[in-house]
Amino acid sequence: MKRILDIGHTDLRLFLKHKSAYIWLFAMPLAFVYIMGFANRGAGQPYNRTPPVLIENADTNFLGRIFLAELSAQNLWVLDPTNRETAARVIRIPANFTANARQYKPTQLQFLKGEDSGEADTALIEVRLVRALIAMNGHLLEAATQTNAGGTFAEAPLRAIMARTNPVSLNAKFAGRKPVPSGFNFSLPGNLVMYLMMNLLIFGGNTIAAERRNGVLKRLMVHPVTRLELVMGKIYGLMLLGVVQILFFLAVGKWLFHVNLGANLPAVALTLVVFAWVAGSLGVLVGSLSAAEDRVTGICVLASLLMAALGGCWWPLEIGPPLMKTISLGTPTGWALQALHQLISFGSGFAAVLVPLAVLGAFGAVANLLAARFFRN
Amino acid sequence: MSLLKVERLSKTFGATRAVDSVSFEVHPGEIYGLLGPNGAGKTTSISMISGLLKPDAGEVFVAGTAFWSAPQTAKRIMGVVPQELAIYEELSGRENLEFWGRMAGLSARDAKARTTELLAALTLTDRAKDAVKNYSGGMKRRINLGCALLHRPKLLLLDEPTVGIDPQARLNILEFIRNLRATGTAILYTTHYLEEAESLCQRIGIIDHGRLLAEGTLSELQERLGGDRVFVLEADFKNASPDAWAGFHDRFRVIQKSEQQLIVAAVGARDPSDCLKELLNLPVRVENVSLKRPSLNDVFLQLTGRELRE
Repeated sequence: MKRILDIGHTDLRLFLKHKSAYIWLFAMPLAFVYIMGFANRGAGQPYNRTPPVLIENADTNFLGRIFLAELSAQNLWVLDPTNRETAARVIRIPANFTANARQYKPTQLQFLKGEDSGEADTALIEVRLVRALIAMNGHLLEAATQTNAGGTFAEAPLRAIMARTNPVSLNAKFAGRKPVPSGFNFSLPGNLVMYLMMNLLIFGGNTIAAERRNGVLKRLMVHPVTRLELVMGKIYGLMLLGVVQILFFLAVGKWLFHVNLGANLPAVALTLVVFAWVAGSLGVLVGSLSAAEDRVTGICVLASLLMAALGGCWWPLEIGPPLMKTISLGTPTGWALQALHQLISFGSGFAAVLVPLAVLGAFGAVANLLAARFFRN
Repeated sequence: MSLLKVERLSKTFGATRAVDSVSFEVHPGEIYGLLGPNGAGKTTSISMISGLLKPDAGEVFVAGTAFWSAPQTAKRIMGVVPQELAIYEELSGRENLEFWGRMAGLSARDAKARTTELLAALTLTDRAKDAVKNYSGGMKRRINLGCALLHRPKLLLLDEPTVGIDPQARLNILEFIRNLRATGTAILYTTHYLEEAESLCQRIGIIDHGRLLAEGTLSELQERLGGDRVFVLEADFKNASPDAWAGFHDRFRVIQKSEQQLIVAAVGARDPSDCLKELLNLPVRVENVSLKRPSLNDVFLQLTGRELRE
């Protein structure tokens, strides 16, 4: 394990010593994200997005907490108070919220607009707020009905009511045409996936070919390093390079292009890391199968552009014929983008990307095994 | 006990027999030279000894244990210096040494400490932080050598470590290798430079076309030519044939014959002046005769019929 880490860290250091690396890792993809994001900007926001909201709960009693639970059940993205400035809206729960409810008095909630937030965000949060209020009133009504007249309801019975399955529920879905990812929400994941694949293929393939030519691979093999350790070290180094690019683009996407990275950032990061594993393994495989370095670059550029086009990095697959979507399922880029669009554009949670992640994992495992099988020193 | 024992090692690539039943041993504190021209089978032999290639036949024993029964253990005992500069040119000398030390199994701390020692021994301390790509050819060769020494190997395999460098840098490296031998390291040294083998190695194996033709100390190899001197005759030998000279082959061994030159060694222990008289009485008009100590080149010439430098 120690040798795998050493090989990977040294490879990352070597990659970053090449000045050209910075062009392909950062400058070029950044330019493409901007150009394609600008060209693909859509008229509206993708559906079912989850704009961030800050909730200030001044009520120290239990109904304040109950109301927070009702809001969470409506899939609101509740921010930490330290991220106040990024909130699209603020909901204030007054201090007398519980007391008023127990005395059957009406209470006013405050709904405040955040800076630089659009009307669409207001509508989305308002819909969820109203649904949460309806649900809470329904639960309070049921609790009050069960309580003796004039008595006050308590937290435990109210939570028991909330835990029950609703006898009636509404499952609302978009009718007609499917939503299409647009703007930077489309161009950032598209270009990140394309350049991750291209860079890790080129760096991986060229490094293996060059180290075979100058005898470094042979020298590694005369040390007490196993073949598997060497292959895993090389893949790990490429994954680290991928992580550098991922971190840069997530940061740039969030703060420069204001891309909504979704309510589940860890799932976005996990998807990209698994994809980097796939691309890194393919890079080592290409380097093992090809002899000449110049041929490696050509093969890698061609393969990554093909996978980018088929996988939906250049245009949303939703606007093409269904056949294109079927073909995309044969590429790791297609599965990675499917997961990223679910998380970034359609507001889905971790559960929605389990299948794409599993398929990417299978791609990675197969590429990793093939790289180990065909590795030549 | 020998640190390296090679028994009837063979390797074939297609129709080419690269190494053909080669056997030799290297003892602690000994430099064993494997001398031969390019393509003789030296690098293939080292590749099999270091585990890069599996032999078709034969066995390699490192410190008494068959290599392939415990390859990782054997690799921990040996250090290998490849013919090519197998180092990271973009990294500094220090970074290279530390990396290869960690690959050899040293902890990060030990690799760092040992790197400092080696940089001083290789006289590279003042250039330690510079990228290797900015080093001279000799400095690169020294780093290439140092990368195999981090873990203080008991057995060192050196595959033509002085190729392509200037004479002064070569002398520095040879001196460094002599010092390693003094610490008890067993060294297998392949070269096609006669002078290096003569001045550096305690025992020499002569290899050509994959076969070990002869081995021994320098004087043992010289002895094969029939003594410690050879005669070089210069004359017109175009139409002359030693086979036609009565009793010539009973008294002399022909090492090389060309149109202008005949090199011979005396058979048996005879007085050089007697030999000289007999040579001057040959039925050719001899223009010049010189007497010299036989070199490894003469031995190689006698064994293969051609010069090592060809």
